[in-house]
Formats: sequence, structure tokens, C-alpha cells
Amino acid sequence: MNGPIRQLRYETAESLNMAVYQIRANKTRSFLTALGVIIGIVAITMMGTAINGIDLGFEKSLAMIGYDVVYVQKASWSTMGQWWKYRNRPDIETGYASQINRAVAGNPRSEVLVAVPQMSTFQASARYRDRLLQQVFSLGTNQDYPLTASGDLSEGRFFTPQESAAGDMVCVIGDDISTGLFPHEPVLGKAIRLKNSNIRVLGVFRKQGKFLGLFSFDNQIVMPLGAFEKIYGKTTFVSIRIKVRDEKRIKEAEEEITGLMRRLRRLTPGQPDDFAVNEQQAFKSQLDPIKNGIAMAGIFITGMSLFVGAIGIMNITFVSVKERTREIGLRKALGARRRTILLQFLIESVMICLVGGLVGLVTAVSITFSIQFLLPDFPVRFSPMLVLASLAVSVATGVLSGLAPAVTASKLDPAASLRYE
Amino acid sequence: MSDLPVIIDIRSLCRFYRMGGQTVKALDNIDLRFRKNDYAAIMGPSGSGKSTLMNILGCLDTPTSGSYELNGQNVAEMDEDELARVRNREIGFVFQTFNLLPRLNCLKNVELPLIYAGVGPEERLERARAALEEVGLADRMEHKPTELSGGQSQRVAIARALANRPSIILADEPTGNLDTATSHDIMEMFGKLSDAGNTIILITHEEDIASFTRRTIKLRDGKIESDTGT
Repeated sequence: MNGPIRQLRYETAESLNMAVYQIRANKTRSFLTALGVIIGIVAITMMGTAINGIDLGFEKSLAMIGYDVVYVQKASWSTMGQWWKYRNRPDIETGYASQINRAVAGNPRSEVLVAVPQMSTFQASARYRDRLLQQVFSLGTNQDYPLTASGDLSEGRFFTPQESAAGDMVCVIGDDISTGLFPHEPVLGKAIRLKNSNIRVLGVFRKQGKFLGLFSFDNQIVMPLGAFEKIYGKTTFVSIRIKVRDEKRIKEAEEEITGLMRRLRRLTPGQPDDFAVNEQQAFKSQLDPIKNGIAMAGIFITGMSLFVGAIGIMNITFVSVKERTREIGLRKALGARRRTILLQFLIESVMICLVGGLVGLVTAVSITFSIQFLLPDFPVRFSPMLVLASLAVSVATGVLSGLAPAVTASKLDPAASLRYE
Repeated sequence: MSDLPVIIDIRSLCRFYRMGGQTVKALDNIDLRFRKNDYAAIMGPSGSGKSTLMNILGCLDTPTSGSYELNGQNVAEMDEDELARVRNREIGFVFQTFNLLPRLNCLKNVELPLIYAGVGPEERLERARAALEEVGLADRMEHKPTELSGGQSQRVAIARALANRPSIILADEPTGNLDTATSHDIMEMFGKLSDAGNTIILITHEEDIASFTRRTIKLRDGKIESDTGT
């Protein structure tokens, strides 16, 4: 076997033994030192878990809008808030949906699958006997709506083309409305009251959860356009939901839709669009910087706590070097080289950090699972990457904080160290 | 005196320190030779330079000028890692305060220089056992230094010095912390090791201890005052 490598192996084994011994011999000191790392690692992994959780909630929400659905609306999602830009645009009309469908029907290469009209209002309230739900999301559409929306029915059925065309007073309701209005009784066939009209429940959507924690798809009542107009009139918010053939080619689909809309609006080539084609990417590009900002700030702040822990380890390793000056002198007299001494102290600080990191990790995992158990809606997610990352961070902390004292130790003069009292 | 090979050959060796702007001549133009199987005592009052000489002989320090050849290797020009290797292979140290690591048992203490020599675990154990048997501690191998008397501790230290079969054993006031009876035990042990062919250099300020050796070198003010052998 190769001599130097074998020697390094024996020396490392000895250093490991010594490190274990040192940690066990100074339990309180080692624990207090490791505590800094434990707290740092808990903070960082919890932060990572929270960021992961935000990501997860985010993806769930975007999936609700649908990755393969674009929305033709008056205002653009990516410049939300600048209402004055869109105020004077003409309203979107529900008739565009059928015009688009007719236009793409003759084009086999079209990226558009189906366009569905939608009228909606947030100002609705729903009543059944003495139970009242306010701020429900009322939506008028046609029989093709399920093609463009996430979520199946948990019971009942969607309305038929005939019911849709006739504007029958029928609806499908979200899970929250079902449990809110009919907590202990069957829902199907019941008539709920919207404004001054009664409408019969045909089906119930499966529970979906909140979109970005803002509004809930479980809070909606979906009915034929005709029924919606009878109840709320015509002056409401209209958009066209368009399902595309392939979510990977959504950009091409958007261009095609923009072209179709410009034709419907009879815009000349020089005129700007007076409508917006929206998709979930717009949310993503708006929210990603926010999310990244939160992540950066979080990692930085929690990183500070680990930094403080590292300084603690550096301090205690310096003390340890001072205390063991004679031992260092002796080891050098017996033939330990500089790198042997360096390695010994590095191994010690890395071991403290690694033990601290493991304890921190176990603590963080327990906290995460407790949160998931106690607050199922709270967005936390633990990942194996996080485990690896925090262990790597622990080792790096150990090396960084142990390096300066270990170098000091390795440079000690053997003759002077042997005489050190 | 004999035609045994020269192990240590020191010529015109100086070691100066600078202290507070003044140059202290700890060793001033020393010439000194040791042959194989020498058994020598270096004596002198404090400040005479005997600790400095000990450090230089033990390769713990390098001279300011002059040459020091140890087994034909020029030690004066070696870097730190080479010195560490020479200390490990050529020199067995015995200290006044024993310098055993308290958390290791006797065997592990004796194994320490063998670890730095890259000796494998089985051979390490075997050689440490043999060394401890040689100093008469066969029944104390698993004991920790704290469970030993002063004389026993020093014998463990001697076993540690022997373990790597060095060219010279360098003992710095080996009896300084021991009572008279134990001191004599230890000196008898050195005598036996010398009879077995080892080269032993010890530093002491006690005439009584020096009288056990075959050669006495007296230092004063960094120079050799007298030397009973060559």
C-alpha cells in the first residue's frame, strides 16, 4: 500500500478518536458550542422548508388556473394596478367565444382547442332558507366550461348544452358553498336563492383550496350565461377562457388568439391591442421576484445566526488550542507534522458542527412534521436536498470556523509548546 | 574512544536569540560528536544553554549557524516537516514531566509515535507491547497514566521513546520529578538500555544522576566547559 496515504489514514483515525474523546470529555462546552450550530441549522432549514412550501402553494395555485388555458380579458395580469390604461378599452363580449370557435374550426393547424365565454361577479351572495353566504363568486358560462377548468365534480353533473342554450336556472356549486348552505343535508336538486331568483343545484365541485391564499375556487357558483344575465344583468366582467392544444406551444396559441381578436375588433395594423391575452405565466413572472426576494432575505437573516454559531466554534477551538499547547508540542516532538495537527483540530470543529447540524436537522424535521400535523394548510415542505444542503453547510461551517485556530495550532513552535505551562 | 559510527556530528554550531534588542548567545561555537552506544550526560547551571542544546539535538529547533549532521543527514537545513520526520524516526524523547496524554492508556500512549510513522494497527500494538514489557510494565498496559506512579509514568514514557527504535534517546531531566529511589530505578533502566546498544543522551543538573553515565559534558555560558569523552 502507498505509504503516505496509509499514514494519513492512521493519523485521521487517531484524530477522529481524539475528537470524539474531546467532545465527550467536555460535554457541556461541546453542547453549548454545538448549540450555536443547532440554532443556525434549525433556522436555515425551517426557512428552506417555508420557501419550499411557498413554492408548492404557488404551483398548486397556478395549476388551478390551468397551464393550458389562456384568458382574453380587458386588462392584462402582468401590469395589474394600472387600471387607467384599460379603462377606455371596449368590453369583451361573450359572443367572441363562438366567433373564435367558428374561426378555428376550419383550421386544422390551429393551436386553439375551444373557447368558452365567462361572465362573473364577486359581489354575489347566496341564500338557502335562513343560511346566507356573502361574497361568493358567481360565474355564467356554457357547457364547455369543464374543459377549461381544473376540478371535477364530487357529486351530480354539469349542465347540458340544452340547459346552457336555454339559460335554465340551474347551477354547479363549489365545495365551500355546499358545506356552508347544506351542512347536514343532501344538496342536489335544492334551490338556492341568488338576488331575487331561485336556482337549482345540479352538481358540486370537488374541494380545490385557495388560489395564492387570496380567493377560493370552492366559493363559486357556475351557471349558464342566460341564467347569469337573468340574475345579475349584462353589465358584468366578461372574459373568454381558451384551452390550447399543447401547453408547450402556449406562446404560439397566444399569437393566434391575438390575431383572431384583432380581426374581431377590426384593428388596423398600426393600432395597439385593445384587449389582453393572459396566462398563468404572467402571475409567475410577477410573483417570482417577490418569492426570490423573500428567499434571499430569509436565507441571509438565518445565515447570520449560523455565522454567530461559527464564531462561537472558532472561539472555543482557540481556547482548546491554548489549553492543549503542551499536547501539541508533544505530538510534534513525536513526529506529528503541521498538516497532522491542522487536521486534528479541523476534524474536531467539523465534528462538533456535524453533530450540531444533525441535531438541528432532526429538530427542524420534527418541527416541520408538527406543523404539518397541527396546521395542514400551512405551506411547509421538507426535501432531501434540504438535508444534504444543511449537512454541507454544517461541514463548511466547521471548516471555516476551525481553520484559523487549527492553522495557529499547526504553526506552534514545538520547543516552546513543550515548555508551556 | 571507540570506532563505532558517529551518529551526531556538530560543528561550529551557534544558536542566538534576540531578546529586547540584545543578542543572547545561547550556544556559541560548539563542536560535539556522539558515537553509537554513547551514554552521555549534559550538565550545566541554568542559562548555560543545555536546554537549547537539547532542543537542537532533538530537532525541535534549528541552529543560527554551523552544521548538525544526524546519521549523515544535514538537519540544520531541513524544513519543518522533514524535521518532524527525523524526530519521529531518529529520536526518542523522555521528558521531566513525562508528557503522557492522560486520556489514552499506556499502550495507546506508546503507539503514538508509531501512528505518525505510518505503522499498521497490528504491528503498532505488538511493538507497543514489546516496548512496555522491556520497561517492566507488562501488567500495566491498559492503565491510564493517572493510575500510575511517577516512576511507572516515566517508564511508559521511556517505552514510548523506544517504540520506534530511534537512533538516540534524548532525556531532558528524566528524574527531575522523581524521588531518589525511583530516580535510581530509572537510571538503572537507562543503564540496561545502554547495555542493549542504545545511544542515550540525558540532560541533568544532578551530579549523582550524571555519575550513572559513561560521559559527562559540562556547559557554561553557551560553551563546552569540559567533556570526559570524545
